[in-house]
Amino acid sequence: MDSFGLTSERLKIPLLSDSISAGFPSPADDYAEENIDLNEHLISNPFSTFFLRVKGESMLNAGIKDKDLIIVDKSLRAKPGNIVIAMIDGEFTIKRLSIKNNELYLKAENHNYPDFRFQNHIDVQIWGVVIYSIHSHL
Amino acid sequence: MTISSVEAIALIDANNFYASCEQSINPHLRNRPVVILSNNDGCIIARSPEARALKIKMGIPYFKEKERLNNLDVAVLSSNYSLYADISKRLMNLLKNYCEEMEIYSIDEAFVSILRPNDKNLYPWARKLRTLTYQNLGITLTIGIGENKVRAKVANKLAKNIDYSAGIFDLARTKDENTYFKGISVDKIWGIGKQTSNWLQSKGIRNAQELRDMKENEIFKKLGVVGKRLQLELKGYKCLPIIKSNKPKREIQVSRSFGTPISKLEDLTQALAIYAIKASAKMRSQNLKTSAISVFVRSSKYSSQNYQRSFHRKLINPTDNTNVILKIVVALSKEIYNPEYKLSKAGVLMQDLTNCQYLQKSIINYKSQEDIKKSENLMKTIDSLNKKYNNNAITWAITKKPREWTINRNLSSRTSTTDIRKIPTIVI
Repeated sequence: MDSFGLTSERLKIPLLSDSISAGFPSPADDYAEENIDLNEHLISNPFSTFFLRVKGESMLNAGIKDKDLIIVDKSLRAKPGNIVIAMIDGEFTIKRLSIKNNELYLKAENHNYPDFRFQNHIDVQIWGVVIYSIHSHL
Repeated sequence: MTISSVEAIALIDANNFYASCEQSINPHLRNRPVVILSNNDGCIIARSPEARALKIKMGIPYFKEKERLNNLDVAVLSSNYSLYADISKRLMNLLKNYCEEMEIYSIDEAFVSILRPNDKNLYPWARKLRTLTYQNLGITLTIGIGENKVRAKVANKLAKNIDYSAGIFDLARTKDENTYFKGISVDKIWGIGKQTSNWLQSKGIRNAQELRDMKENEIFKKLGVVGKRLQLELKGYKCLPIIKSNKPKREIQVSRSFGTPISKLEDLTQALAIYAIKASAKMRSQNLKTSAISVFVRSSKYSSQNYQRSFHRKLINPTDNTNVILKIVVALSKEIYNPEYKLSKAGVLMQDLTNCQYLQKSIINYKSQEDIKKSENLMKTIDSLNKKYNNNAITWAITKKPREWTINRNLSSRTSTTDIRKIPTIVI
């Protein structure tokens, strides 16, 4: 999957390794040789999945922090409750697609930031649905 | 050669592909006129629909239009081929799921075969494909459908030319084909070059209808079996098969035009060395080894003297080792060098590629197995470090001298979908 450009490096975490150097073959050899491949587990539509980097804090309460890596699937149909990438008047933004009084709007997950109502903008398009965010704890 | 009504052929291509790729990942460029420049920021090679509407022409040198583009607030970008290649790969993989067979014809077009449903109507299929591609990749498609490749090409042209077609045209479902065929001049038909077109015009054959109905033996006499096939396809017979393209690569080429022409040997050697290092790493990433190495040079197209040469060397033992390849390329650069010419382009070519897993052990081997293992490990280490940090984290000293000749790519969008350090940033 790395050749589809989703990540520059596959993350490989060996499940088990055979550390016996001589003598009997390890009885575990038949059971463990696969690695956990995050591409495989996190991404079901590799051809429509893109990676983006976040700058800013308007989605703090949703757990998306400054500098986080987000994984976006463009093939999914956005539903209320989803966190989405929207293009608003020529800018990307991330907001939660929400519904209030039968009206869809884009909700910021931080009190200090405004929500977006669709009718206040000329050009609004949902670009994709955020499926994961990755935060470094180092 | 059969007339088949069940299986249809479609030619699917992406509109304004390079510009669309840029617009799809960069919201600032949406609804704006965008042009893409060739390598070295030389000529305009792609335009967004907004730029077309401004009557900006293809192929003209950038410097001639610079001021006008500036005044019109056109976004001007250097080409970002790794982005286009990635989006192309995604596009082809998406299309593959919606057809029987596929032939990738270029970076942004493919012939596909598709079975007609009971009601013979492929418009719903085509509409779905267009919607899906736009949503998933931000790319708009044109889909031409016919009984064979030539007619699919014609249909694609019609889909582009006819305003109400909404990007889809099925030639098999038109009542009066002749009205459409009359509107397509012979030089616009797939496979008709300039000379053939001139000959046809001199015979009074001006459009697709007249070519289709022309005397068969007259075409055959002049154009041979190629012309005969083309005419038969226009009539609706199937002569040209879909060629599934999964052959392994036969050669790897790395070449560039120089920002400014070079005439010094050391510049040429350095350039070729850099390309050799790149080509070697490319081979290793695809598990290939070469047994024929070429270098080639070309003088400027605009200079009066024309110099074009290529030199090559065969190897007994196939290799992917940068050290071995560098030695050969440096030696070849000295042979090919000619102080009288200013060179505008150079490159290296790795041929006779074999897959490492099928490789035979050679009887003649100058090096011990241990030495070979050692240098293999060194290459592996360098590759993995370069993958982890950046492309040239570890490289050979020859690349590090100051360069005056690098390719100009001043206006690149630099955004990438394949390199995690250059992915788009969203300010939220």
